[in-house]
Amino acid sequence: MVKTEMLAYTIRRILMLIPVLIGMSIITFAIVHAIPGDPAKTIAGEKATPEQLQEIRESLGLDKPAYIQYFHYLGDLLRGDLGTSLITKVPISEEIGPFLAATAELTAASMLIAVFFGVNLGILSAWRQNSWWDYSAMLIALIGVSMPVFWLGLMEQWFFAQELGWFPSNGRIDARMEFEGITHFYVIDSLLRGDYAALSDVLMHLILPAAALGTIPMAIIARMTRSSMLEVMRSDYIRTARAKGLSEFWVIYKHTLKNACIPVLTVVGLQLGLLLGGAVLTETIFSWPGVGRYIYDAINSRNYPVIQSGILVLATIFVVINLIVDLLYAWIDPRIQYGKE
Amino acid sequence: MAQPVLEISQLKLHFFTDKGRVKAVDGVDLAVHEGEIVGLVGESGCGKSVTSLAVMGLIPQPPGKVVAGTIRFQGKDLTKASPREMRRIRGNEMAMIFQEPMTSLNPLFSIGNQLVEAIRTHRSCSKQEAKNMALEMLKKVGISRSGILDEYPHQLSGGMRQRVMIAMAMVLNPRLLIADEPTTALDVTIQAQILDLMKALNQEFGTAILLITHDLGVVAEMCDRVVVMYAGQVVEETDRRRLFRNPKHPYTQGLLKSIPKLEEQKKRLYSIPGQVPNPLGMPKGCRFAPRCEFAFDVCGRAEPQLLPVEDGHLSRCWLHQEREEGRGHEPDHAIAQSQ
Repeated sequence: MVKTEMLAYTIRRILMLIPVLIGMSIITFAIVHAIPGDPAKTIAGEKATPEQLQEIRESLGLDKPAYIQYFHYLGDLLRGDLGTSLITKVPISEEIGPFLAATAELTAASMLIAVFFGVNLGILSAWRQNSWWDYSAMLIALIGVSMPVFWLGLMEQWFFAQELGWFPSNGRIDARMEFEGITHFYVIDSLLRGDYAALSDVLMHLILPAAALGTIPMAIIARMTRSSMLEVMRSDYIRTARAKGLSEFWVIYKHTLKNACIPVLTVVGLQLGLLLGGAVLTETIFSWPGVGRYIYDAINSRNYPVIQSGILVLATIFVVINLIVDLLYAWIDPRIQYGKE
Repeated sequence: MAQPVLEISQLKLHFFTDKGRVKAVDGVDLAVHEGEIVGLVGESGCGKSVTSLAVMGLIPQPPGKVVAGTIRFQGKDLTKASPREMRRIRGNEMAMIFQEPMTSLNPLFSIGNQLVEAIRTHRSCSKQEAKNMALEMLKKVGISRSGILDEYPHQLSGGMRQRVMIAMAMVLNPRLLIADEPTTALDVTIQAQILDLMKALNQEFGTAILLITHDLGVVAEMCDRVVVMYAGQVVEETDRRRLFRNPKHPYTQGLLKSIPKLEEQKKRLYSIPGQVPNPLGMPKGCRFAPRCEFAFDVCGRAEPQLLPVEDGHLSRCWLHQEREEGRGHEPDHAIAQSQ
């Protein structure tokens, strides 16, 4: 695609996000308000008098009709105000940052593992279709996709942390280590400060949860890569590439993989979104202070603003990731014409 | 005559499938000399494409396997060449273009990328040098706009893509170009342009061409010599003139008769009766016998050999071999009737 076309398309897609985001804010608002329970009671406690409750409701605007409340909420959102946590009384926009960073770091690490192993397993089994390699790779994928993440996480902890003692069993970093977050991405922080002891500790903490979380996407990516590669390998242009005298490596990794990667990319985008939101189990098992845990705790304590804004933030990230995937399609495949819709 | 560029002798390439052994190429002899254009003619499934892919070493093994015979390219037996040696020859000394220009170029890489890659796989030169070579070659195939290198295959028509394919095949000046039905997917006017182009390149560079086609019109226009294949075997081989004036094998005669002619206002076109035999169950004796109007008792019993009928004219048919061996059949009469 021509660069200006691409830019116009990108801008149009970003503008199209606005109605999507408004829709999402309505849905999260509605869901939270449909949950039985009274936030005023949560704040004031069990023994509050009706007058106290009324006072709290008025101060929070909870006595007004739902649509007025929604517009207040939307107005706050537009000013970047995600509300205030009922428990900690800290603005959510300030509080959520470190949790988001922790989740993003874990997600990125597990996606890295999933893509690297998934794509290469898929390539291997497509390249040696119906061979022993193919069957083993697909067996690994089958096991991977069938393994519940909480079970895998517990097994990892038991075997690699407890029995072998190779990795720490939970947390993001050794509690004794002095560590001040700058970006809250610990890998980046430790690199920025040139603190390699911290870096290695952070990576050691990252491996087990990332492996647990990355296993299912890895298996899905491996299967997708295999079927997509097999289809592309039958194409005429792959025969042309071989007829040119290219080595098998270039035929596979340049000509076949680039053509096969579009469906894989779709899966990666969707899985990435699922990982961001669905890491709750892994985060709980590995005491990973991520956004999944943050929202989970908020649900337990009826911390409505946190639930509402937390879900909205995750949903926004999900939408943005899918936008990026769509833009990548156009970047990879020059035939895709988004100019005319 | 000098040593041929390509000499296939007694090549047998079989596919080992679940249903049994498919003898796709069964004892093929074929030679292409320097600067010569040889046509390889036959119906779909007769083994002509498999033969050409075997020369390029592009038959996936398994299921395919060369079970006998040799493919000598510039004196070297390719059936014994290592994959590395084959890669060095492919695209360099020997190149190939295919039937489907629409799908033969990778849609995700620019024309420049694909041409430069073809050059730099075999020559150590800078990207810029390779680009210049590519542009020069593209000019020779009739694409002279300078932006072509940045264009993608989907922006080009079928004819243009086939020109790009030819440029890619010819850019390193190979000794042999294998063209597998290069014009079948193109419009008639474009066909003529592409054929002219190939002929011009053949004359300019002296590249030998093995032209695979089912179109006898293309053969008439292009080829010096013609090899006719049927059911995995060569049934007739001669020069172009003799093939059209005096075809010997009943199959070739049938092919020539199937060409519609303007002056004959027939209601129905001629077609050879019957079907190509199932490769899993070849008929005993002559493979063409079940469809042959001249078949007699020997044909169903024993397989004829590819033998000279006259100097430079080979045919695999009992009609001629019987006569030589004097077994009392009168084939000339039959052939005269058929013409």
